[in-house]
Amino acid sequence: MLKIENLHAGVDGTDILKGLNLEVKSGEVHAIMGPNGSGKSTLGHVLAGRPGYNVTAGSATLLGQNLLEMETENRARLGLFLAFQYPVEIPGVSNMEFLKAAVDAQREHRGEPPIDAVTFMKKARETCKIVDLDPAFLKRGVNEGFSGGEKKRNELMQMILLEPRLAILDETDSGLDIDALQVVARGVNAMRSENRAFVMVTHYQRLLDYIEPDHVHVLADGRIVRSGDKSLALELEARGYAWLEEEVA
Amino acid sequence: MSDFMQQALDSAAASSPPWLQDWQRAGRQRWNASPLPGRKTEHWKYSSLQSLQQSFARAEPGDVELAAAGIDLPDFDGPRLVFINGYYSPLQSACELPEGVSIVRFADADEEQSRRIRAHLGLATGRDEPLFTALNDAALAEGVFLEFAPGARLSQPVHVVWVSANQAQAFSINQRLLVLCGESSSASVIEHFAGGIGGQRSFTNGVTELLLQAGATLCHYRLQLEQEAALHIGRVQARLATNATLNSFHLALGSELKRVDLVVDFCGEGGHCEVNGVYLPRGREHIDYHTCIEHRVPNCTSSETFRGIVGDDATAVFNGRIHIHRDAQKTRAELNNRNLLTSTRAEVNTKPELEIYADDVQCAHGATVAQLDEQALHYLRSRGVSRTEGEVMLSFGFINEVIESVRSAALRDYLQPMLASRFARDPALVGQAS
Amino acid sequence: MSQEHIDRAINREYAAGFVSAIDSDTLAPGLDEEVIQFISQKKGEPDWLLEWRLEAYRGFRQMEEPKWAHVHYPPIDLNAVSYYSSPRSMKDGPKSLDEVDPQLLETYAKLGIPLHEQEMLAGVAVDAVFDSVSVATTFRGKLAEAGVIFCPISEAVHSHPELVRKYLGSVVPRKDNYYAALNSAVFSDGSFVYIPRGVRCPMELSTYFRINEARTGQFERTLIIADEGSHVSYLEGCTAPMRDENQLHAAVVELVALDGAQIKYSTVQNWYPGDAQGRGGIYNFVTKRGVAHRDAKISWTQVETGSAVTWKYPSCILRGDNSVGEFYSVALTNNFQQADTGTKMIHLGKNTRSTIISKGISAGDSSNAYRGLVRMSPKATGARNYTQCDSLLIGHRCAAHTFPYIESRNPSAVVEHEATTSKVSDDQLYLCQQRGLDAEKAVSMIVNGFCKEVFKELPMEFAVEAGKLLEVSLEGSVG
Repeated sequence: MLKIENLHAGVDGTDILKGLNLEVKSGEVHAIMGPNGSGKSTLGHVLAGRPGYNVTAGSATLLGQNLLEMETENRARLGLFLAFQYPVEIPGVSNMEFLKAAVDAQREHRGEPPIDAVTFMKKARETCKIVDLDPAFLKRGVNEGFSGGEKKRNELMQMILLEPRLAILDETDSGLDIDALQVVARGVNAMRSENRAFVMVTHYQRLLDYIEPDHVHVLADGRIVRSGDKSLALELEARGYAWLEEEVA
Repeated sequence: MSDFMQQALDSAAASSPPWLQDWQRAGRQRWNASPLPGRKTEHWKYSSLQSLQQSFARAEPGDVELAAAGIDLPDFDGPRLVFINGYYSPLQSACELPEGVSIVRFADADEEQSRRIRAHLGLATGRDEPLFTALNDAALAEGVFLEFAPGARLSQPVHVVWVSANQAQAFSINQRLLVLCGESSSASVIEHFAGGIGGQRSFTNGVTELLLQAGATLCHYRLQLEQEAALHIGRVQARLATNATLNSFHLALGSELKRVDLVVDFCGEGGHCEVNGVYLPRGREHIDYHTCIEHRVPNCTSSETFRGIVGDDATAVFNGRIHIHRDAQKTRAELNNRNLLTSTRAEVNTKPELEIYADDVQCAHGATVAQLDEQALHYLRSRGVSRTEGEVMLSFGFINEVIESVRSAALRDYLQPMLASRFARDPALVGQAS
Repeated sequence: MSQEHIDRAINREYAAGFVSAIDSDTLAPGLDEEVIQFISQKKGEPDWLLEWRLEAYRGFRQMEEPKWAHVHYPPIDLNAVSYYSSPRSMKDGPKSLDEVDPQLLETYAKLGIPLHEQEMLAGVAVDAVFDSVSVATTFRGKLAEAGVIFCPISEAVHSHPELVRKYLGSVVPRKDNYYAALNSAVFSDGSFVYIPRGVRCPMELSTYFRINEARTGQFERTLIIADEGSHVSYLEGCTAPMRDENQLHAAVVELVALDGAQIKYSTVQNWYPGDAQGRGGIYNFVTKRGVAHRDAKISWTQVETGSAVTWKYPSCILRGDNSVGEFYSVALTNNFQQADTGTKMIHLGKNTRSTIISKGISAGDSSNAYRGLVRMSPKATGARNYTQCDSLLIGHRCAAHTFPYIESRNPSAVVEHEATTSKVSDDQLYLCQQRGLDAEKAVSMIVNGFCKEVFKELPMEFAVEAGKLLEVSLEGSVG
């Protein structure tokens, strides 16, 4: 589904990813771990097409299509979803309006007519329940005045509504208490399917207790330096990252 | 003084009630004695009065049916007064007044009513009134005195509509609205200016006086929706007694020249005012808001937000002054002005001002001129929304935050779809500069 | 805290208020073309400069005194001012410090500005201007090695006429404004600096201005040219004796930062502010402006504690692409002082950036206004400005104002302006006092904290001086 080869990318001329390779197959859950500054978040932003992130070499394809040449919105319509670590606040634009515009954009891309407002409202309210968010949030500005946990749950809600093929969760676990973490895990686990893949970027193994990964990768200095199964995450938890970095150096 | 108004003034004098004639004379004297301000006058630095340099006749009653199109608020059955070119239009008006409200047109006032009008007229504008208020006095023939009885609590706003309808030659309209809110009353007034598409230039000089007695609460909405050739110079002058609360809302879509001065005078302690405004000039339009919050007494609070989107060759001017007088201790005042420029030819001139003569106060102001937030746009796009649609959403969202402050549901329901569709179809108001 | 405390804290004496008993040549008061010819002749100026002055004077006569500033003072009689005063012993100009009148040196020593090179803080070269005349410039030898020219402008007219002629009036035109035109007509002396291409000036350059003589005006003119890729940091300090009458100071400073050059200009202005009743003090009407060419940077830092009336807007014309302008200001007014000060950032080039940090402190019966202009021209694509203006009020009779003009004509330019006003809160004072600080110390500490963002921009020696100066200026303000 997702294939990344020798990806070099960075911000403002500073290289952050330095030859990253990764393949994610449909139905799989991958965890990418690594110390701060290793390039974990950069990977998600480069794939999503954030302005200011430049690719200097390598390739990345999703469902056989070259992601790097596409506009951000077309990547999303193809089925790429990035749950942001720090979702931006957009006062004045209501959540409801925003969600419907996003869902309709996906439907249009698939040649479907826009969803009618009543059906969508109902669906949105149900989704609110799943992610444990008060439906009153739908009327408020996008992420406006949301707490950290509420923002993360709002990201999850968008993921459920947009039904992506590939979801990248960028440190979705950071700043969450245990209850919220379980809500996120429940949401993700409910969405796991043969047609969908997940890449979870995380610093801690905690999240992996709730969402069991098929593969775990360690990112250091812009490259994947080790891959394994979930036992690798436990080893990292026990020993930290330093030994790996030394080994690689 | 240039004589571009003389014709209109002469005919106004001929048709007004006798008890107003002293008032007119005094206004006319002041008007004639003062030169028209030029760019060297600080408060007219960025707005040229060049377009007034022609002769304006007094307005004639226009085509009633045509003129009144598009002024209905959805699901609104409150009282409505409609004036077309300054003439009262009973056909378009609905004057079933709820208890606690009285409305008198100056032209109809009986002796008792005219005495009451004279007792309050000019109280808010004061003696050192500005030039265009003097002109308004000089032409004072038609005006409305709206009174809310002490203790009255109204659920529906009073909708006052001023329409300029086309006529063969350039014309001027002078309007006056005098609102008296009795002690502890609570009410809303929507002042709605419309019309002006095509045809000759019109010049509207609208003065609104708001007198809030102790404990009164008033929501005043002033919509300047006249288009194109409709020039407008307006003034809203509010005077707040002890514990009064004013919610003041302004919306201006463009025309060649729109200038509105808002002055809020705190005359009793414990007052509060909230001022919100939106301006959206495009084409060659020019919109200028000057606001001044006079904190004359202690323990009052004010909060002000203006936002504008300026496209094409348009110009916006904002001057927001907070004046805290000596001894107006414990004042809290804040002001915020944000602007989006969407064209390389558009221009914004903004000046938030603080003038402070008391120490135990908390004041802050801020102003920005910028583009749409790239991060927010990216967020929208990362969810599959196209750049264009994202720009429409963000631009509308930028002003919608202010529109949300409108408390009247009927008005909100009128404005939001109207503005949303305007943003969806007007490239000048959205998006990055061409 | 009690009013008494505050009053005591504000009302300390002006430490630089002594008069030096120096025999001087002072021109009789009055202003006409003959006076200008006299000044020019006295300095042995070339014809072009005399003509330049006369042209400025003719322009000046057509101009009106600006009235827009938020300051009030009785009309100034320009014919009651003497336009030239020179210590008599300086007639032929000192060739070295040994030739300078010992009493002059003593004056500067009293001000804490020792001119003897061996006593200097390492790395600061000083030009001292006494009334209208430059009396001594230190470290000239060492500067010359680096190719840096640092001398009185009256000397530069003779030694480097090509530079003076090219740049004089190039940033502040002769008829720019009323006071600039007056200065152009009658300027007496001031400093001239030229930093050659690629040179990083080996030490801080510094000028101390001193008005001594009664009924004189001081009209110095400073011109700094930083050639391509060069760096210079320049400091300026000012004091004057205590006198009951007001004295006029109308200076012009021009900065030229050519491609890639950087000029840092720091001022500690402590002209005599007048007494506690508002008698006397300097009228400080100054035009300061710099032009930054491509990739150049001009940074103004000012600490304004003196003068009865200040009217001063050090500005940057960001002409070249990627050029940078900065303005860091602390303005403190006490008693009956009035200040109307701020900056203009004129963004002409692409990706130009400017930062304005202004801290105004008003105490006593004083009035303190920030006035600024940020202009984004149609060509200033990608330009940025950030402005922050904070005012602190001490006592209930003072006033603080903010008048920021923002004009934008480029949609990709971003302008952000923020302003706040606050007072030294009772809670803050209570906390300090409860921890054993007296009220004066507490206020001065709080004020210093308030100004920290600006002080950190000052060169070290100045930062210490500025902190002390604030403390002195605030004395008696606590109540």
